[in-house]
This record gives sequence, structure tokens and C-alpha cells, in this order.
Amino acid sequence: MASAAPHGRDKLAFLLALVPYLMDKGRVSVAEAARHFGVTESQIRDSVNLIAVSGVPGETSSYQHEDLFDIDWDLLDERDEIVITHLVAIDDSPRFSAREAAALIAGLQYLSSLPEQTDRGVLVSLLAKLSHGASGTPSEVAVSSSEVDGFVSVIRDAVAGGFRIQFDYLNSRGALERRSVDPLRLESLDEDWYMRGWDHVREATRTFRLDRMSALSRTTEPVSSRAGEITLGDKLFEPSDTDLTVVVELDSNALPLIADYLTTEAPTPVSATRTRVTLHLAHTHGLKRLVAGLAGAVTVVDPASARTRVADWAQAALDRYDENGLPSHKTGIPR
Amino acid sequence: MSEPPAAAPVPVEERLFSLVLALLATEQGLTKSEILSTVQGYRQRYSQFGDNASLDRQFERDKDDIRELGIPLETLDQPGDPGNNQSMRYRIPKGEYDLPSDITFSPTEIALLSLAATVWRQGSLSAESQRAMLKLNSLGIESDDPVIGYAPRVRIRESAFDPLRVALDKHAIVKFPYLKPGEPAGRTRTVAPLALVQHRGRWHLSAHDIDVDDNRTFLLSRIVGPVVSTSKTWVPPELSGHAERSLRELDALWESQVAVIRVEQGTDAATRLSKRAQVGFDSAGADELRLHYTDVDVLADELAGYGPEVLVLTPDRLRSAVLSRHHTTVERHRDTQPIADKGSDRG
Repeated sequence: MASAAPHGRDKLAFLLALVPYLMDKGRVSVAEAARHFGVTESQIRDSVNLIAVSGVPGETSSYQHEDLFDIDWDLLDERDEIVITHLVAIDDSPRFSAREAAALIAGLQYLSSLPEQTDRGVLVSLLAKLSHGASGTPSEVAVSSSEVDGFVSVIRDAVAGGFRIQFDYLNSRGALERRSVDPLRLESLDEDWYMRGWDHVREATRTFRLDRMSALSRTTEPVSSRAGEITLGDKLFEPSDTDLTVVVELDSNALPLIADYLTTEAPTPVSATRTRVTLHLAHTHGLKRLVAGLAGAVTVVDPASARTRVADWAQAALDRYDENGLPSHKTGIPR
Repeated sequence: MSEPPAAAPVPVEERLFSLVLALLATEQGLTKSEILSTVQGYRQRYSQFGDNASLDRQFERDKDDIRELGIPLETLDQPGDPGNNQSMRYRIPKGEYDLPSDITFSPTEIALLSLAATVWRQGSLSAESQRAMLKLNSLGIESDDPVIGYAPRVRIRESAFDPLRVALDKHAIVKFPYLKPGEPAGRTRTVAPLALVQHRGRWHLSAHDIDVDDNRTFLLSRIVGPVVSTSKTWVPPELSGHAERSLRELDALWESQVAVIRVEQGTDAATRLSKRAQVGFDSAGADELRLHYTDVDVLADELAGYGPEVLVLTPDRLRSAVLSRHHTTVERHRDTQPIADKGSDRG
């Protein structure tokens, strides 16, 4: 039962934020206001035009001139600057809703595990301000702050200082390699940390998991000039041409578990509860781990070689238990 | 029921903005008929003697939209005539609308809050933190340099999250099918949500389970069907802090449960799990690791992914869970029969 006008609601929120900003500024250019709010100049002009003809019904219930906002029209037309000359009803920033405050609070809690967030006082004071500035008690949503990989601060310093780093890394085939990388950005996803950078050996941008790195060192060599020219996409994993294409079948409600590997092809339902999808992975080395970790939920359909690799991987695990005197047979194992 | 006019001459945002202004400007409140007949965007469609049912519904939706933004839209009963829809008055008290004037933010704080807002990339939390930033921007404070080279994010993959969050805010009692590992099918749980927490990368719901009359923690990934809101609500307990309590309980659980595993040196498992494992445990051999965990089946899924690189020594329950996963994987991938037949008996 979505509201008919989430768009209208967002525009209302923008108008209610723009008025106190303009009042506070006194006089501001359209360009400056657009930059501050991160919107286009025409959005600012449209909003100002709407504000200027809005107001309250007033004593006559007929929106007389003195019941409406007013702006300096000449200034807007000639210099593209905004001055509100008459205010109606609002002159202050609105409070946060309970849910808005809760969203920022939970985000802050997650950030509190960052290495540079050592000043707990700032955080505690911010949490208090957000609660105090909300129109209701912020809802109970929280994210635990957790131990952070020790490499995070080393890489952060390297990013900030513009230095190349070196580390040992298990590649997707399971082999250890020394990598030399210009670090561009640290990213985290829930509990996991990733570093994106320019790989000098591969001559391409690559994403590395911090927990797969070892023997990390920051060099004194500055990052190459190419590093500054790279624009990273928003997606952490970008499928490459060399990716392996595999068809799997899974419970429809397990789809979110493999979202990172999905292609743009739409999933094909095979029954009321089962779906087939095409995945992109770098190598079967990654596939067997993914599927073995989702045992029963995801089954590889095609190619046959991938099915064999997955089966061999799980069988090798069972064999290893037997070799170590830990019986792997199914009797007594709860299913 | 008359249809609304085909083309509304007044844009939605102008109608909403005018309604907010009108309700802020009034001390004693406006009745619904005053609003519909005089406020910009309604008055154009108001019929003095006719049927205003569709306009009435429009007003109801607009009120919801306005409240959704955290604007305190109040209703006041006429003294001596409580509950009468016609004489009821509406207003927005200015003192509760304005951000308290003693709240200020430094440029550094704005930068930190901007970063906090980027943590959410999808769903309702993302939209709401963007709106909170809009309100912060209205204060006209310029942010310090943003925290560079760092993109933190928390993912919400579970479709149960948004409906549970709505239920949490509305104090609604909800039902959902919950599948415990080892059980053949999901069982319906009826709960009053208390908090949503992410602990060690997993979203949990802390709730009062109505049927067992006690608090329970649910993993969102095990909610296997839609979350349905019942018409019942509940009175939340006076005490808050459920989110913190829930996180503390999960921490304590994590602390109390330990698995001992053996990893093959030089493998992915050795590199990754060693970083998480307890330090200084080498009496039994360098390749043995102690791992704390909250949920045995969640850990079993993870360890099963490492295949032969990991051997679970204790507890037995974890080892059986991992072995059973490997058996399932082999069965599903060695079979020469068509897969569709194999899969259709599930779920």
C-alpha cells in the first residue's frame, strides 16, 4: 500500500529544507544553493518559483499578497541570486522523523568501529543530538561495531598519503602471489573489508579482500599517475570478460544470497519455489566454495564439469575426515 | 464514489506544502472542511454542496505523507464533542515542528553524519538517511573534508527487514514463517518486534514471541515467507534499549560458544580464519584454531564452503552439521538424473 506520491513527499521535504536555508543565507546564488544540496540549478529555480507563490489562506481565506512568500524577482532574473523578502509560517529547519534519526544513528554505530573514530565523545554527543532532534523516539535499529582488520589503518594511511602497497594474496586459484597495488579506496560490506586499487602486474583495477592478504607493507613509492585518473564504479564486483558462466538452480527465496554473482539475465522459474539463474564467477575455485557453503539451497545444473568440481570438493572434505579418524558416514548425522 | 478530476491543476508538492503552511500558521487548528475548502490544491476541487469523498481520501493520504516526514500533525477534539470527525481540528504545533534551537552541528560532525548516511545503499534506511541529510543541509553548515578513500556499507538482503521495521515503529504484532535448520518446513511465529540488530554481519530480530510469552531472537535469513502485519498492536514496554540488550546477549552467546577446527596451511581457510581465531592457542598444534560463534548452522555453512581445507574437531554438533552439508552437496552434484526432479521435492 505504497503512498501515491513518494515523489511529492520528497519534493515537500526539499521545500521545507530550502526555506530555512535561504533565510539563513540571506542572499545566495542559485549555483551555490544547488551545490550545497547536491541538486541541479533548475531544481533550485523551480522550487524557488513554487515557494514564491505559496503561502497560507489567511484571514480572507483567499491567499492575499501578504499571505504569500515573496522573493526579490529582479535579483533572481538578473543575477541568478535568491533573497526571500517575505516569510510565511516557517522559519526553522524541521525535526528529524524518528525513523530518519534511527537510520543515521545505526549508520554511526557501524562507523564507530573505524580506526579513526577514537573520540567516543563526539559519537556519544552526536547520538544524543539526533535523538533530541527527532519528533519521536528513534526506533530500535542497531549495528554492532566489531573488531576491524589490523590492515585497515595501514591501507587508509597509504590511500591518504598516496603510496603503493605490497602484500601476499591468494588468487582465485588458491595460489599465493606477491601483489603490488596502488590503493584507491577501502570499502566495507557488513563485516568484510575490501581494498580496490590499480594492480601493477595485472594492469587493471582489482578488488581484494583484506582477510585474504598477508605480509602487507606500505612502500615509499608514490602511486602512479594513472591512479588518479581511475573512476571506480559503485559495484564492488564487476564481472570481467574472462568470467566463468554457470547455471544454477535454487530456492527462489535464496536468490539474495547469490546476488553478487547474478548477471543481468532474468531468473527462470522452474517450479513454484525453484528458480534457475546464470552466475558469473572468476573460476570454479570460487564456485565450489560458494555452492558448498550453500549446501542444499543451490545446485549447479550446467556445465557438467562445474558439477563435478563441486562434488569433488565436498567429497575431498568427507575423505579428509575419514583419513583423520573422524568418521564421515551418514549414520546418526542429523539431516 | 466520484472520480477525481482527470488532471489536477495544482502539483502534489504545492498542495502538500500549502497544507503544511496552513496547519503551521493556525493556533486553534482547522477543521477538515475549512482545509478542503480553502487550502491551495484542495479548494480548486472542493464542491460546496456536492460529494467530496475523493478529496477526503486525498487529505487522508496527504496527512500520512506529512507524518511520514516526522512532521507532528495533531488532531484536536472539539470540547464536548470528542471523536466527531467533522468538528475535529488539525494543526502542526510550531514548537514541535522546529528543530530545537540548542541543537547545532560542527563541520566535522556534518562530515561524519554524511558518511553515516552513505552506509545504507538501498531500502528504507537509505531513503530516510538521505532525508535526514536534507534536513541537516537546511542548517547551511558546510561539511569538513569528507572522509576520503573510504566507502563503508551495510547490506540488507533480507526482504523481511523493511516490513519488520515498519512493524517496530507502529508497534504492530506480525506473523512470519520461520525455518529452523533441521526442521522440514517453516513454522509460523507471531511476535511483537522489539529491535532489529546486525551482529557480526547478520541481521537479527529481537521480539516478544506471543505463543511462548517470552523474548526470542530470530535470524532474518531464516524468515522464509512474507511478514504479515496483524491488526493487533501492543503497548511497548516503558524501558527502551532493546537493541543494545539484544547485542549484548548475542555478544555473550558468541563468547560462550567455541569451535575447535584444524586448517590446512597455505590455504584460503588458513589465511582468513586465522585472522578471526583466538590468538595464543597453540598448545594443540599451530594448525588448530579456536573460533567463537553465535549460531552453529551459520558457522557450518561458512566452514562447509572451505571444503577439505577445514576439519571440525569439536563440538560434535558442528561437525555433524558440516558433514551433512558435504553429503548433500555430493548427492546433488553426482546424480546423473535431471536436476529438476531432484529439486522439486523441496520446499
